[in-house]
Amino acid sequence: MKFEVHLDSVGGKTKHIVDLEKEGSSYRVSLDGQPVDADVILAAPNAVSVILNGAAFEIHIAPSLDGTCKLQTGAHEFQADVRDPRAWRGRKQGALEAEGRQQIVAPMPGKVIRLLVKVGDEVEAGQGLMVVEAMKMQNEIRSPKKGRVERLQAKEGQPVNAGDILGWVE
Amino acid sequence: MRLTSDMFRKILIANRGEIAVRVLRACHEMGIPSVCVFSEVDRTALHVRLADEAYPIGPAPSRESYLCIDKLIDVARRSGCDAIHPGYGFLAENPSLPRACADAGITFIGPSAETMETMGSKTAGKQLARRSDVPTVPGTDDPIEHPEEAESLAQAMGYPVVLKAVAGGGGKGMRVVTEDVEFMSAWRDASSEALNAFGDSRLFLEKYLDSPRHIEIQILADAHGRVVSLGERECSVQRRHQKVIEEAPSTVVTPELRRKMGEAAVRLARAGGYVNAGTVEFLVDASLNFYFLEVNTRLQVEHPVTEQVTGLDLVKLQIAIAAGHRLPFAWETISPRGHAMEVRLYAEDPDNNFFPCPGKILARRIATGPGIRLDEGVYRGWTVPVEYDPLLSKLIAWGNSREETIARLRRALDEYTITGIRTNVGLFRRILSEPEFLSGEIHTKWLDQLLARPRPPAVPPRPGTEAAAAIAAAYWESIQPGSGSTGGHDASNAPSRWKKEGRRSQVDRRP
Repeated sequence: MKFEVHLDSVGGKTKHIVDLEKEGSSYRVSLDGQPVDADVILAAPNAVSVILNGAAFEIHIAPSLDGTCKLQTGAHEFQADVRDPRAWRGRKQGALEAEGRQQIVAPMPGKVIRLLVKVGDEVEAGQGLMVVEAMKMQNEIRSPKKGRVERLQAKEGQPVNAGDILGWVE
Repeated sequence: MRLTSDMFRKILIANRGEIAVRVLRACHEMGIPSVCVFSEVDRTALHVRLADEAYPIGPAPSRESYLCIDKLIDVARRSGCDAIHPGYGFLAENPSLPRACADAGITFIGPSAETMETMGSKTAGKQLARRSDVPTVPGTDDPIEHPEEAESLAQAMGYPVVLKAVAGGGGKGMRVVTEDVEFMSAWRDASSEALNAFGDSRLFLEKYLDSPRHIEIQILADAHGRVVSLGERECSVQRRHQKVIEEAPSTVVTPELRRKMGEAAVRLARAGGYVNAGTVEFLVDASLNFYFLEVNTRLQVEHPVTEQVTGLDLVKLQIAIAAGHRLPFAWETISPRGHAMEVRLYAEDPDNNFFPCPGKILARRIATGPGIRLDEGVYRGWTVPVEYDPLLSKLIAWGNSREETIARLRRALDEYTITGIRTNVGLFRRILSEPEFLSGEIHTKWLDQLLARPRPPAVPPRPGTEAAAAIAAAYWESIQPGSGSTGGHDASNAPSRWKKEGRRSQVDRRP
């Protein structure tokens, strides 16, 4: 079973092909076409233990809302996007949107306490769009790009959950 | 001092989160039944899960639940409590709670309402400090009318001085003056800025402390006049005036300075008629002069640091003092042993301006082992509510020396993993590797200055990390039920890995 793994970390972006072939209760693993001595198992919920040529790693995995995963091991973090090259799953339909229309998503549950812009306003990248209160702290949600506020879903006083769409910047 | 279960019939814990759990544990150890309270979003919080008895007190917003004195007194009465422990935060420093307790015939585990009023307020505390011969930051409490008068005061007190707006806040209307020639223009700037910002141009004058340390003294006072100092805690590592790391002892406090600061704190507590556990906060300048800052009339978040170096349980002692017991004479000369350090782990993202990151804890691996204590109110599967302070855990390490303590704390931070929410653990990794922190060269603005500097390049991961991450990600994808990948089926249809692992460990047991 082949996977195309896109990793993103402070060290940069990389792509690897991981092939996992079930062999009894374990897997035969090859990485980028080369067989590797790797033992991989789910050691605890959301914790994958990998022993690679004797070096032991514990990778903690949290699925993100957009279908990617956050990986963490020690002080290091990776964003992983795993694709199955044989499956026609275009997970990143949003790739075009990233440059054009931008969704404004609530990063955490809270309450919208103030809108700082109106529909139609021209905004700069980084400009505050609204203030969301969570855990006694007020936090500004900023525009990811320079553009125009196309739509605002959020209303003042409205409670929001992490991942809720608050509006769009075109 | 013997701690016994007959000190109180039953104790109400008027708090939530890690401190409610902390107080609950003390009650359990003493054999005193305890009662917890919870808001609508805290039904599954750890303090409720561990409670002997628990009662709902209303909706999530704290002013409708944890801050409702009527509801708390009502629960105490209904459940037969004869004492209330306030924890820290919420009502812990609100004199209305001890007053309501007194009216209801319930013992408040803390100082009296009158003491809170005279010692808890900054100005009243400062006046009390002056009266009891405890040094305060030199300066005027009252506004100065004429700049000439202020200038001669500044000369008498010695530069640098700081001009502050009477109505001030947020650094507006504030000027540091380092020499005489700057004085008049600084005065004009500060007063016009104060007028613009607050509509009040009046200024007062204080000696400016350059890069002071925040060092506080833990005191215990019984109702029979014995007041003891349990030594200092160094809390200079702060982010925007919020303590981030606390330790004891301080790297700059000598036995002589500890004795002097302890005596000053005890004098102040006596003068104010203080009873129970309290903290006297000081600023300490580069020449090791100390100046009174304020009194915290409650248990502090960082109390475990003192517990680890004194071997005392401050919560149990608070209960004993409230029950009228006497502190032993021998504690008047207590001195710290070894070293202890605490970090406050918050649900926040240091890479995104410390944005709060509440949410569901999908998984976690806790830190244990020699010299490690974890005081917390969280668990796997719990959703950290958005309504309250995002403190998750206090990780406390102790050892024979500061070096050993830091090594243990670093090791524990590597073990401590929370999946599903972001935490500030990376901030502590960074602080604990800073040479200035390691040599103890810290002050109250040190961390803010550090965070304003460009980040050091990330330590490269050890070889194989990226490959292991890629393999783990692919494997994770393959075991997701309903993932479109064919590889997923064999894993999800196979017997549970937990069961297999359990069976394997049964047959594969080694002596």
